[in-house]
Amino acid sequence: MGSLLRTVLLVLLVSLAAAAAGCGPHDARQVVTIWHQSRPNEREFLADEIARYEAEHPDVRIRPLYKETEELRSGFQAAALAGAGPELVYGPSDVLDTFHTMRLIQDLSPWLPEAERAAFVEGGLTTLPARDGSGRRELVQIGDRFGNHLALVYNRNLVANPPTTTDELVKLAVASTTDADGDGRTDHYGLVWNYTEPFFAIPFVTGFGGWVFREPESSPPVPDLGTPAMTAALGFIRDLRDVHKVAPANCDYELADSLFKTGRAAMIVNGDWSWSDYLENPAIDAAVAVLPTVDATGLPMRPMVAPKGYSLNANARGSAAEAAMGFVRHMASDDVQRRLVQRLRMLPARKTVWDDPVFSTDATLAASRAQLENGRLMPVATELRAVWDGMRPAYQAVLGGSLDPAAAAERMQHDAEGFIDSMHRRIEPSPLVPVLATVVGLGLLALLVRQLPTFVAFLADLRRNPTAYAFALPAVAVIFAVIVFPFVWNLVLSLSDMSLVRFRDWRVVGLQNYAEVLSDPKLWGLSGVFLKTILWTVINVSLHVALGVMLAVALNGPIRGKAIYRLLLIIPWAVPAYITALTWRGMFDYEYGAVNLMLGKWLGLPAVNWLGEPLRAFEACIIANVWLGFPFMMVIALGGLQGIPQELYEAARIDRASRWQQFWHITLPLLKPVLLPAATLGAIWTFNNLNVIWLVSNGGEPQDSTHILVSYVYKSVFNLYRYGYGAALSMVMFLILLAFSVVFLQRTRATESVYR
Amino acid sequence: MKEPLRITLLRHAVLLLFVAISLYPVLNVVSISLRPGDRLRSTDLSIIPPDWTFESYVKLFTEQPFLRWLGNSLVVSGVVTLTGVALASTAGYAFSRFRFIGRKATMLAILTTQMFPATMLLLPLYVLIAKLGLVDTWLGLMVFYTATALPFCVWQMKGFYDTIPASLEEAARIDGCSRAQAFWHVVLPLATPGLVITALFSFMTAWSEYIVAAQVMQDESMFTLPLGIKGFQASLSSQWGLYAAASILVSIPVVAVFLAFSKYLVNGLTVGSVKE
Amino acid sequence: MATVTIRDLHKRYAEGFHAVRGISLDIADGEFLVLVGPSGCGKSTTLRMVAGLEEVTSGEIRIGDRVVNDVAPGDRDIAMVFQNYALYPHLSVRENMAFGLKMRGTPAAEIDRRVADAAAALSIEHLLARRPRELSGGQRQRVAVGRAIVREPEVFLFDEPLSNLDAKLRVQMRAELARLHRRLGTTVIYVTHDQVEAMTLGDRIVLMNHGVIQQIDAPLAIYRRPANRFVASFIGSPTMNFFPGAIRDGAFVVDGDAARLPLADDGSGLGSGQSAALLPQGPAVLGIRPEDLVVTGDAVPFTTAVIEVAEQMGHETLAHVSVGGSSHVVRVPGDRAASPGDRLSLGVRPGGVHLFAADDEGRRLN
Ligand SMILES: Nc1ncnc2c1ncn2[C@@H]1O[C@H](COP(=O)(O)OP(=O)(O)O)[C@@H](O)[C@H]1O
Ligand SMILES: [Mg+2]
Repeated sequence: MGSLLRTVLLVLLVSLAAAAAGCGPHDARQVVTIWHQSRPNEREFLADEIARYEAEHPDVRIRPLYKETEELRSGFQAAALAGAGPELVYGPSDVLDTFHTMRLIQDLSPWLPEAERAAFVEGGLTTLPARDGSGRRELVQIGDRFGNHLALVYNRNLVANPPTTTDELVKLAVASTTDADGDGRTDHYGLVWNYTEPFFAIPFVTGFGGWVFREPESSPPVPDLGTPAMTAALGFIRDLRDVHKVAPANCDYELADSLFKTGRAAMIVNGDWSWSDYLENPAIDAAVAVLPTVDATGLPMRPMVAPKGYSLNANARGSAAEAAMGFVRHMASDDVQRRLVQRLRMLPARKTVWDDPVFSTDATLAASRAQLENGRLMPVATELRAVWDGMRPAYQAVLGGSLDPAAAAERMQHDAEGFIDSMHRRIEPSPLVPVLATVVGLGLLALLVRQLPTFVAFLADLRRNPTAYAFALPAVAVIFAVIVFPFVWNLVLSLSDMSLVRFRDWRVVGLQNYAEVLSDPKLWGLSGVFLKTILWTVINVSLHVALGVMLAVALNGPIRGKAIYRLLLIIPWAVPAYITALTWRGMFDYEYGAVNLMLGKWLGLPAVNWLGEPLRAFEACIIANVWLGFPFMMVIALGGLQGIPQELYEAARIDRASRWQQFWHITLPLLKPVLLPAATLGAIWTFNNLNVIWLVSNGGEPQDSTHILVSYVYKSVFNLYRYGYGAALSMVMFLILLAFSVVFLQRTRATESVYR
Repeated sequence: MKEPLRITLLRHAVLLLFVAISLYPVLNVVSISLRPGDRLRSTDLSIIPPDWTFESYVKLFTEQPFLRWLGNSLVVSGVVTLTGVALASTAGYAFSRFRFIGRKATMLAILTTQMFPATMLLLPLYVLIAKLGLVDTWLGLMVFYTATALPFCVWQMKGFYDTIPASLEEAARIDGCSRAQAFWHVVLPLATPGLVITALFSFMTAWSEYIVAAQVMQDESMFTLPLGIKGFQASLSSQWGLYAAASILVSIPVVAVFLAFSKYLVNGLTVGSVKE
Repeated sequence: MATVTIRDLHKRYAEGFHAVRGISLDIADGEFLVLVGPSGCGKSTTLRMVAGLEEVTSGEIRIGDRVVNDVAPGDRDIAMVFQNYALYPHLSVRENMAFGLKMRGTPAAEIDRRVADAAAALSIEHLLARRPRELSGGQRQRVAVGRAIVREPEVFLFDEPLSNLDAKLRVQMRAELARLHRRLGTTVIYVTHDQVEAMTLGDRIVLMNHGVIQQIDAPLAIYRRPANRFVASFIGSPTMNFFPGAIRDGAFVVDGDAARLPLADDGSGLGSGQSAALLPQGPAVLGIRPEDLVVTGDAVPFTTAVIEVAEQMGHETLAHVSVGGSSHVVRVPGDRAASPGDRLSLGVRPGGVHLFAADDEGRRLN
């Protein structure tokens, strides 16, 4: 005990000393925070420009903060709603409509006079109609560069000249798909790309004459996916893999990337963000080329392109806004733009820089520019998210072989329309709201009155039993201080119409969200998300506990090397799950994953399409999660085993109890008090475990089939902005767990001690 | 007592199998950290890539503020561990030993705080933190982490106290201890395995969390380790080498803490104290 | 050393169970008082209230002149030995014994001396460095006693200290406890469910049932004149034989006229100084201890019965006989032949008649 305490105190002292050392003097400058999604090499450029700007403006401090795409979006929504957040957000234009609709960003027109706008390339400045309905357009983003466009990258060691048409592409790809060592497994693929993601299918769609929205774009835009062009594009993609066999059987972004980087793929379709990595890679000789023309239509494959730029937080006012926009103007200035082109080889947003000689000397930049000019501006509309979400399952179904292209195109259209619908759904306040409020109010009052005697008894108990309350109170207070407000907020939200269109001006509308949750066949059906969640929870927790106890018992005997075993066995717990879950995803790869390789090599089993088939993908998630969770239960069980008196086993042996009987009649019952809390909470955590599903099956893939309730909520809230609905569903989940816990704890008498 | 060879072998077989299962995915992470060029996937079973390099590890220390993140994380996790253990050991004791009004209801209520999907709480939580002016402070994070870790810890400690016979404490009280003294001199030392689990769990909670940290911390110099590490991940252009190398390094303190504590975890003390 | 006085003590547990229902006791300084009764009758509850481990619902407990109801256990100057020993598992035997003194701030030298003395008295000097888990059951028991005596308290409380020991050790420890008490002369309250312990150790015995005191008396007095049928049946082994019947016309008639015992005033049945005339007529229960139900001729003749089972003990034989349809035990001296099938003619020793009311309470009538 003593030395344990000493260790802990030492750690604390060291850390406090470190903390004290970290505190600097106070800074009086105007701070401008930027949340940006710059890639690593771009961050250095940004840092240098900030340093330059700060040197020129000593009264301003620019604080850049990198945020991953999704994090930036949801984080900014939360922060802006709370009246805080960074002054500036920097990123591609695709979130602007959302932020604008939610009134999180402000009109930049005052900072960029009409006259100055002419200097920008078309699309470099993003405007959206004002929300007041005046028809005026507001400037929502000032771009500083273009990009995010896909192009063809080829490895010159394998392909001499890039294809200019799809026929050439197929021919070249077939020729460079080889099995050099003749073991029946392909060693080099002709063409790889992330064909799980619809964004990467867009060049094919445009090449066959299609687009995502019906033209001319209306407001809100109407998806245009159920087209012959889509059917043809999907068919073409499928044939590349299944007929021409130039692509791996399963290929997500990371696999395509790794294959190309290691010289195992001749060509890859990838975006401008990835090119420098390929060009600098010594293992390959990469070059960038414009995507080919589709022979069937004579149209070029046109990728989506988007400007990247700065938007101003609606909460930024006065000097903060001034300082922020000063920096934006700096970044959009000719000087900086020229440095951008020269250093980062990125395409600027200002026309004035396009004449730079580097465009003719740098082949990659030239190809990039050609592809950009050939590209289509990415729609700013929020509905694009619904399009992606609508496309993804059907697209994956085509590649999974369960849907033909024509039917898939139709389903995409249908799903996307459905998503847009639910995104825009406006819920009218129910006339029953006042009645409901009265009933709830009266109910609360009645409850209060009923609980009055208990309260009086409590006051007496408080006086009689002060130690008990003194011991329990601090922990309880801390726990509830954090949770009460979010809980009440959620409760209110679940009764509201908070959504994309009513983000800041939401109202309480009644129980409609609950009605929708409870009547959703996707949730409650026989193959629905709810049952899957139950399955997920039960299997995981049972295996966690079973394996944990088994290992603890195995460790708790007279054997050598216990300490080493113990240490190695907690490793899955010690290494962060956000990376190991990704490793598991890699291990489940169809062709190159360790699981299939081992199954084939040692057990002679055929490869399993872990991540491509719905049920298998779910199993893969479970396996990964069991792996992540058993060490924790093992630690708990180990601790619990120490409390079991050895005499009991001696007595049992005298009674000639077998080992199994000893385990069953002594170990388990006496582990109960220690295991129960862990198992109960384990079930609750597993029920709500978003991470593993998200990382292993990449957000519910294939075809949104691995969802459990929590990932379903996540998707509906964060992709479709249905906050009210999400809150109602979480309340329902909460009630399910509450019911489970009450019953389970009652059954197991967990609140009672074994000695009483 | 000596066991039959059969059983000993069985123990080793099971343990070895699971050690292999535990290690393999982690060795994969090691492998990623040794690969140049940020390749997440490999196409074979080899662990040490042919073109292996320690570049990512070197970069972490030379080009990234890894040590600062480490220091920050140690402070946050250290404080959370101490407060977590202090609060859970007392509250667990109250729930185990005292019978007071609202005891069962409170225990259940504590559990309920874990029942809400964390992602849904993010928005209101941020509003709360922002309104309380806790953005960019460690206090906000520490309170949140402690509150997150406590429900489990309180229940766990209660479970452990439940296995300690009440008569030991009664003996101590007759020997002249107050309730608090009996708790300190007799009960706490006997609950060490529980304290270790509580400490480990609190530590891990604070050590690996990044979602809330990302909301609270706006100043890069105050980043905790996981937050820093997550910065290596960008959609479609992650620095996998750094990400993996940092993840491996992050686990070392956890293993060290476990190593330091595990002696107490497996030191059965109650044994032989009372006759059942 | 001190007296202990208990006045109208009640205990109601939180769940509402009324475990102790109005107990009053005066325990003299240096007395060895045994609380005995069947399991669950409230003995431990009473003891634990004296110790301060259980809150008093109502009533008063005094140790010496001090009302201790609200005094913390540690300040009552008592020591307690638990049934499960309750040794501190993380402390050595020496530290276990020293713990209470340390908590009171006794000087180290004094602690060492007292621990050494106690260890010597209990012959556990060689165990002082060990941990409880390294001790046998008997050794643990000694340490538990040792931990109590080093404290030199006003009152010792024992809660079934011997019930976890095997029969032989129990006899040995019993004698040792008796010796210890003689030597120290400290007031002792000793809880047990074992009547033999109660009889052998106690200066006085308090017999409890359902939270109520049934009788307080010296062991022999309790044995000879049990205050009610419950006490009569609890004390004595084999148990007293009971014959339901009625007192009628100066005699006791067993139900169904199975037997008849004259209750003459001459002391032959009722005992000296008792008069049959004072007995209420009507239903009653006759109690006769097995050793008072004899085969010899000089006793008051009672009935004849056939031996069904004979348990040979060597020095005596326990003969199970049937009278009035129920089984009874007769003690036959070892030198007399007694085997199943033998017909015995039974009589009652002078003074061996106990008469109890036939109601639930079963008050003693004679
Ligand atoms: N903490 C408690 N709560 C409720 N009832 C109790 C408690 N402790 C004991 N009892 C009940 O009180 C009665 C007397 O218990 P106790 O004094 O321990 O009996 P014993 O005479 O065997 O020592 C028993 O019926 C028991 O079930
Ligand atoms: Mg081959």
